[in-house]
Amino acid sequence: MRRILDLLGVAVSGLTARKIRTVLILLGPILGVAAIVAAIGINESSKGDLKAKLRELGTDLIVANAQDQIGGFGGDPRIPADAANRVSRLPDVTSVSGTHQLSNIVTLPFEEAYNYYRAFPVPVIATDLNLPETLDVPIVSGRFLNRFDVTTGARVAVIGRDLADEYGYLSGELRTIELGGKHYGVVGVLDYVLLEPSMDSAVFITFANAIADWEEEEADPSRLYIRAPTNTRYVAQEIPTVVSLGGPDGANTNVPTDLLDAQSQVDENLNNLTKLMGGLALIVGGVGIANVMSISVIQRSSEIGIRRALGHKRGTIASQFLIEALAVGVIGGFLGAGVGAGVVWMVSEVRDYTMVLSISGLFRWSLVSVGVAIVAGLYPSTKAARLEPLETLRLG
Amino acid sequence: MGNETQGSVSSKRILLALEGVSRIYGEEVPIHALRDISLGICAGEFLSIVGPSGSGKSTMLGLLGVLDLPSTGVIRIRDVDITKLGDPERSQLRGESIGFVFQQFHLIPHLTALGNVETALLYRGLPRRHRRDRAMGALRQVGLEHRHDHRPIQMSGGEQQRTAIARAIVTEPDVILADEPTGALDTSNALNVMEIFAGLRSSERAICIVTHDLDVAGLTDRRISMRDGRIERDEAAAVPR
Repeated sequence: MRRILDLLGVAVSGLTARKIRTVLILLGPILGVAAIVAAIGINESSKGDLKAKLRELGTDLIVANAQDQIGGFGGDPRIPADAANRVSRLPDVTSVSGTHQLSNIVTLPFEEAYNYYRAFPVPVIATDLNLPETLDVPIVSGRFLNRFDVTTGARVAVIGRDLADEYGYLSGELRTIELGGKHYGVVGVLDYVLLEPSMDSAVFITFANAIADWEEEEADPSRLYIRAPTNTRYVAQEIPTVVSLGGPDGANTNVPTDLLDAQSQVDENLNNLTKLMGGLALIVGGVGIANVMSISVIQRSSEIGIRRALGHKRGTIASQFLIEALAVGVIGGFLGAGVGAGVVWMVSEVRDYTMVLSISGLFRWSLVSVGVAIVAGLYPSTKAARLEPLETLRLG
Repeated sequence: MGNETQGSVSSKRILLALEGVSRIYGEEVPIHALRDISLGICAGEFLSIVGPSGSGKSTMLGLLGVLDLPSTGVIRIRDVDITKLGDPERSQLRGESIGFVFQQFHLIPHLTALGNVETALLYRGLPRRHRRDRAMGALRQVGLEHRHDHRPIQMSGGEQQRTAIARAIVTEPDVILADEPTGALDTSNALNVMEIFAGLRSSERAICIVTHDLDVAGLTDRRISMRDGRIERDEAAAVPR
């Protein structure tokens, strides 16, 4: 241990003794690592909003749309309630919610707005009670539909957040809205649904109301939202089979975040190119280290000769120079990572990106710099160890 | 040639011995730097190796200091044949047994006087405090304790050479080898350095000075004169000092 401490002390003293030379050697790994970290960081940060959104949404939500197996046009395909129950019993599924959008209902916040809302109808969605839980969206005011509403058939509705703003709805206000001439009490406001923005301006009612007021025959949804935190894609593949069980009913599924995911990944090739260029910069830095250290070995040949005369072994001399190279790699790598991170932060501030920086990535590139420095230090350290003291001391 | 002297010191402990040593440089055109040298250096001796340029004294110093290996013959330190040792063992033996003082001082420029002396004690498993204490003790011995935090560039030639002497003695070696230790100094500093060497004599240690200066050689107890790679004369001072 003392030997290692001695070596570290000698190496640090060697580096600090020639500050300008040390700074010049450090520039290689600093610039190399900073270039890679900055380029990858800026690239990632430019997609930071998408990635942040992905993190918020999760990538485990599946949407299943009812599909007529025969493939006829003009039909009104549904997923039977018992099929939805089967889906909810799949081992990886934690929550399922069914919805069906009703058609031809004019929704009015007040009488005078009839013409406008007939031209721009508000979607009315019949839903079961699990929707906020499955979509992982909170209620920002009041409550969501509950079992009491279903059993009593009370005419109550929950509205989307945009619609609440549009209606000028105040939190806790007793208010009704008119759906096709029938008055529904507004009991709550659902927060923004990032994956289904159309829900932000929708009205949600129970299937019981849909059957009672809007000629729905059964509480069969046309769309299922399924949360499957594990094996998401496998579950998505299995759902059509679970729904149809060989019968006429069918469903197609998709994972809506896949598109976002794809958008956030499109520049992977650019990332790889950046890594390649940064890697080249690091190699050039490594060549610089080897070059400057080789010159340094010649300049310090007298010192090497003295140390050898004092009994320091070849291996010790080689270790001394190798540790100097290692120190350059460590200091250069971590400084470079810091500089790169600073550049990413600055660009993110200027361009209004969401800064994305992987700590493990910073650490990884610093380690690459250390590796390059060690390889670069091998030649000069071997050269130093091979110097014959008699030649460097010039006796007599 | 030197047989009488060797005979006269045979009762003392031989620290360093050359037996039939030759050193030949080059292969196509061989240059015989040393020819069949036999020599013993005993504990307590203060000797000089003198000779003109090209006489082989620097080659001799390299061999005595285990910095080089002979083409033929045997070199023994503490009765160990160094020609049979690998480089790591030779380096260790060199560090433990030999202390060097060079004409050009050869101090490490970025280290202080204390740092330079301490360098000789590195990699020996010594705690730093212990190392510093010993190095400071060696500087005290050469009268430079008050200059311990000065770099070589801040010291005079004489002080630099005294620092080099402190570095040579701090390991308590068996033999101190000095290569033209007064060659770069003025007369006053040269005398001062030689007085320090004389003061370092002990019954456990030998001091060997390689020089072309007969006045310097005259200050030692035994003089070995070299010419053309051979020992020409090996004589003791008329009155041992």
